[in-house]
Formats: sequence, structure tokens, C-alpha cells
Amino acid sequence: MLMPKKVKYRRQQKGRVRGKAWRGSSLAFGDYGLKAMAIGMITDRQIEAARIAMTRFIKRGGKVWIRIFPDKPITKKPAEVRMGSGKGPLDHWSAPIRPGKILFEMEGVAPDIAREAMRLAAMKLPLPTKMVTRLPYE
Amino acid sequence: MKKDITVVAEPRASRGKNEARRLRVRGLSPAVVYGAEKDPVAVCVNPKDVTRILMSSTGHNTIFDLDITGVEKTPAMIIDWQNDPIRERILHIDMKRIDLGRSLIVKVPVHTSGESKGVKLMGGLLEAVTREVEIECLPDEIPEFFNVDVSDLAIGQGVRAGDIPLSGSMRLLSPSDSVIVHVVALKHEEVAPAAEGAPAAAGAEPEVIKKGKKEVEGADEKKKK
Repeated sequence: MLMPKKVKYRRQQKGRVRGKAWRGSSLAFGDYGLKAMAIGMITDRQIEAARIAMTRFIKRGGKVWIRIFPDKPITKKPAEVRMGSGKGPLDHWSAPIRPGKILFEMEGVAPDIAREAMRLAAMKLPLPTKMVTRLPYE
Repeated sequence: MKKDITVVAEPRASRGKNEARRLRVRGLSPAVVYGAEKDPVAVCVNPKDVTRILMSSTGHNTIFDLDITGVEKTPAMIIDWQNDPIRERILHIDMKRIDLGRSLIVKVPVHTSGESKGVKLMGGLLEAVTREVEIECLPDEIPEFFNVDVSDLAIGQGVRAGDIPLSGSMRLLSPSDSVIVHVVALKHEEVAPAAEGAPAAAGAEPEVIKKGKKEVEGADEKKKK
């Protein structure tokens, strides 16, 4: 699963995601993309599940790019532990997502296959998405 | 490429995000016109006209007549535009006055034709690395697109910007060795069973960057003295 190699601090505050994704909101590599349409957090496991769903469907054709990276550590206190005595240990990593962000891109497959692969990937994600294709002027 | 399209624009006196928002509510988009050694003019245009030009076969390289009411009528070109990331409507447009007698720098899309040998017979993937090349040419000679034949490409072979045939006053500005398309071999992906991968990944923690300066070997000895 995706995670940073090196971090400055082991734990982060929760924070809030606000606004629109002005960066990373257009296709950069492939012909098809999956765009987030709402604010949310995507975990490393969800990214991996979506990637596997896509690559299994397209089998041996095509190439997939992951445009997001889970660089936010999420901590969790162990079960049956009283409140207090510090922040819990690292549980997983997540990527804060703003609406408009391109999550995945794909190239080298027919449009109908890309659409179905993106649909399967979207099923693994916790936020609404839509498929985008490259426009003639992009 | 010059086309017989006229886009009507109105000069706008007011500035700022609030005024721009009011313009968009009225169905217009804020825009700016500059170039040809004249002062820039802030205008508003109908975004549908701009979208029609961008979606045409010549795309953003279309040269059209821009009629700024009461100011000037000049040939112009769309240089840049901003889109809303969610609604995907046009928010702002940059247009440039074009002097039809002087050469200009444009980005021309590159299309591929044919099915490459590497994809058809060897199971590779045709990957487009660069979709546009930058050229300098006269306004009348801007091509709609460049066509690159990829039918002879095997795995590991590609087409570079220098291989694109240019004619007339065209001069390539992109690095001639930049790859346009190439055929790559697809990697075999072995999906590990989830049960094996999960505990290792969950327990793994990244390295934490330590604070402070790195200690030099000689520094300790100096302190002791």
C-alpha cells in the first residue's frame, strides 16, 4: 500500500478539507480519468482496492496512473483504552480530497472498457465521482 | 488558422472577484485582450462563443475577429483559459491580438495514425508522452494538427519531435529529442493475496526526520579539549 518513506512528524492534527481542487483537476497523462465530486478522505486501502479493481478488469491492456497519495497519518487508540495519556498510534494513511481532483487516469483501452473499469474503481471509494475524458483542446 | 468567426466583446470598467461573479451570473465571462504592442483591455465575452472555438477542429489555434464594442476590431487568438474544476465552465479567458504579418509561437496537437507493430504483435502499449509541440510560424500557416504514423513502431521505439515534418515558415521550438509517442512493454502485475500484505503494511511506520544539525565526527573531540 502507498505510504510516505520519510515524515517530519509521526502524527498530525485532523484538520478540515475546504474549497475546490484547483491543482490536479485536469487530465495530465491518460485519456480517461476519475474525478472526485465531493470533499472526503481516501485511505491507502481504498486507493489500493480501486487500483486492483481497475487493473483486474482491464487485464493486460492499458496503463493506470494514481494521481493522489495518502500522506496524512491517521491515528487510533487501541480498544478498551481509557481516554487521555496521549495520542494513539498510527493506524493508516489517507489522502485529503477536494472536489474536482483527478484520482486515477487510464490510457490504452477502449472507451467502454475504461468506463466500466472506472465504475468498478468508484465502487471502492467513499465519495461520489465522475468519469472524465480528454477534450479535443486538452 | 484564420476563420470567419466574429466574437463580440464588451469592455468592462469594473474589476474584482465580486464583479466577475456578477458577470458570470449574467452568462458572461471576464476576459482580457493584450498584445500587438497595445495596452491591455479588460472585456467580457459570451463563454459559449469561446467554447465553440475551443471545441472546433483548429481548437485554441483558431484566429478569429474580436469585435470590442466601441474600441477596436482585431484578429485575435485564445491564449489561456481557466475552468471551474467541478462544473467545468469557463471562468476567464486570455486573448491576444494577432498581427497577421508576423510569425507567432503556437502549440500544435500531434495525432497518431495506424496501429503500431509493438501493440499489435508484441502486446505493448502506445503511450503518448507529449500531446502538443511548440512551433513558430506565420498565422496563415498554423496547421490544424501534425500526424505521426506509428505503424512501424516496435516495443522500445518512439517518435521524437524532430521527426515531425515541417513545411513553409514553420520552425520547431520544442526540444527536437523530446518523445512524442513510444511503445512500452506492459508489466506483469502479480497481485499479492490481501491476507499476507495487510499486517506488514499496517505495522510499518515511516522514518521520522530527526531535528537539529548532524554531528560531525571531529566535533566531539574538539568539545572534550
